Amino acid sequence: MSEKTEMANATLAGRSPIRSYPYYIENPETEHRVERFLEAFAAVLKYTDYKPLLDSYCTSNAKCNRCAVTCPVFLATGDPKDIPCYRSNLLLDIYKRYFTIGGWLKAKFAGGFELTEAVIDEMLSLFYRCTACRRCTMECPMGVDHGLVTRLGRYVLSLIGIVPKALQVSVREQLEGETRNTSKVPKVALLDTLSFLSDELDDLMGVSLEFPVDQMDREYVFFCAVSDYLMEPETLMGNAAVLYAAGDWDKWTIGTGNYDGINYGLFYSDWHLENIIKQLLAEVDRLRGNTILIGECGHASRSAHDFVPVFGGSHGHSVINFMEYTLDCLEKGKITLDPNIITERVTYHDPCNIARSGWIVEQPRAILKSFVRDFVEMEPHGHNNYCCGGGGGLVSVDEIHDYRMEIGGKVKAEQLRRTGADICIAPCANCKKQLKELVEHYDLPCQVMGLHDLILKAIVIEGAKIPQERKEEAALLEM
Amino acid sequence: MEQWISFAKGPLFAFAFLVMVLGLIRLVIIQVYSLILQKGRRLRNVPWKKIALEATSWAVPVRHLIPGTRFFSVTSYLFHIGVLTVPILLTDHIALWESFLGVNLPAIGHRLADLLTLFTMACIILLFGCRLFIPRLKSMSKFMDFALLGVIFVPFASGYLASHPNVNPFPWETVMLVHILSAEVLFIAVPFTKLSHIVLFFFDRISQLHWQLRPGAGDRVAEALFGKETHV
Repeated sequence: MSEKTEMANATLAGRSPIRSYPYYIENPETEHRVERFLEAFAAVLKYTDYKPLLDSYCTSNAKCNRCAVTCPVFLATGDPKDIPCYRSNLLLDIYKRYFTIGGWLKAKFAGGFELTEAVIDEMLSLFYRCTACRRCTMECPMGVDHGLVTRLGRYVLSLIGIVPKALQVSVREQLEGETRNTSKVPKVALLDTLSFLSDELDDLMGVSLEFPVDQMDREYVFFCAVSDYLMEPETLMGNAAVLYAAGDWDKWTIGTGNYDGINYGLFYSDWHLENIIKQLLAEVDRLRGNTILIGECGHASRSAHDFVPVFGGSHGHSVINFMEYTLDCLEKGKITLDPNIITERVTYHDPCNIARSGWIVEQPRAILKSFVRDFVEMEPHGHNNYCCGGGGGLVSVDEIHDYRMEIGGKVKAEQLRRTGADICIAPCANCKKQLKELVEHYDLPCQVMGLHDLILKAIVIEGAKIPQERKEEAALLEM
Repeated sequence: MEQWISFAKGPLFAFAFLVMVLGLIRLVIIQVYSLILQKGRRLRNVPWKKIALEATSWAVPVRHLIPGTRFFSVTSYLFHIGVLTVPILLTDHIALWESFLGVNLPAIGHRLADLLTLFTMACIILLFGCRLFIPRLKSMSKFMDFALLGVIFVPFASGYLASHPNVNPFPWETVMLVHILSAEVLFIAVPFTKLSHIVLFFFDRISQLHWQLRPGAGDRVAEALFGKETHV
């Protein structure tokens, strides 16, 4: 049944027509959303710790609008509704009106703001136009964390069933499904992929490797964005090559109980965030592993790095991103990268979750500068970098592709074009997907790949084919 | 009129000042209490040094001058210098602080004070203009954002007129009464409006603390709304 027919039928049956949402929702309910939103917000405020922060924000928020010019979405649209402060104030106004004495008094004696269905519509749209990159937070003189407020707004909306279906279905499979991962990759497919990666590495390098699976008592337990097993074999082969070259092949393992580092809870829900972290920790404990080694994925790294200590209790596992491991190997002389292989111009895209909201800015640059001759920076970069336009889970929502291309990623595409780079390194599954789509959409002469894809080309492995030979073979294959 | 002035300078001033101080203390206590009570040991995970560096970088916000907001930011920064310096360090106010609070502060000279006062007033007019004429700023500004600029402007303007009889067209007593009363309105407004960022600035900046979520809270929220059989 078409949407129009569905709406007409609903109206004829005396029900309100189905609202149009900017993204697919599993059960788009139209009834009593205001009451249910307030009920959900009250429950969140009762059991979580957000109240003092909201008190502070809604009292002292300066509304100076400096955030506007830092936001890639506002820069692309110029629409005042895309100003981070405007968006945050949607939730702050509700908090002030319904959950503070001042707001209650004001409403009683002077009237003013009331939560309506229209405000709910505005929130569900604007909270998912934001990519949660938190660039605005850096330039807010008050330090208002619009990313946190947006996430809280999304959390409350999710409690009344308003959340992009793409995210909800993924986390359901991850927490309750058979495969326990967001891409529904069954164990047998994982093992097949690992076997395929072994064969590929053998062809490429001339080394015979078997990926360690379910090995107990290893130092590192590896989690990447599970989609990498389907879409980014070269990144994974690069990871494997570094581990092998560094002599750490017997120090790591992949667990078949849980092999997905993705945590969409970081984008919209405390409940999911915590339970996904606990699931990850359970697998590390099962394998009696020590360090959690996260592959090239920004939000997976941040969610594990920041929230394992919060939700992990006495587990005490340390979390590192693979780039930190690789840099450590490089600095200790455990791996060698041939500086004569990569002759193209290379730039680096900082994933927001590990740069601005994290701790990884210099590490990948140190690696790149050690073997890339022509490295150029985007401007701005590092903590101040622009989001790819697919952050905050948006890249997984296929139906907003046009938004991600024309608005969310517009500034990024221009930034990328200005570098004149042949290769853009994006060490994040989300950023990589978005940037690949951007490059295609804007017809940019640039190849997007992970850092370890590039390392795979230049790494020197004892007893294996030398990088130059591999490069020549690859060139022959391309002809 | 003199009686009115001495009433405004005496008990009314004490009341307004007390409202401001107690109001701000209340805000600080709520924040500190909530943080210690709710976050407790989780505060150990917080990168305090990073937060401190970030917060202090706003004292001299040169690296925060971003294209598109430079005029507003510079005006606002200079405005803050005037707003903080003149009311506290003006010679005539020094005596007030000494008699009222018993503290002896160094005074700024009259010429500097005059200059800063005119400067601050000019900044207020410019900030008002920005809110009125820059579309994206106008779209965000509510009545209170304009009103507060007015509330700050009046004590500066009346103070200047009171100390410069040659440019003051009004009776001195009236101007002085307006000066004192408007300053008291400002004091009372501080803890209840965005002017509370005098103290809340520090608590706004520590959102890193608030990313230290409470373990088990998500479960309790879900249980309260959906019962024990919570599904994704």
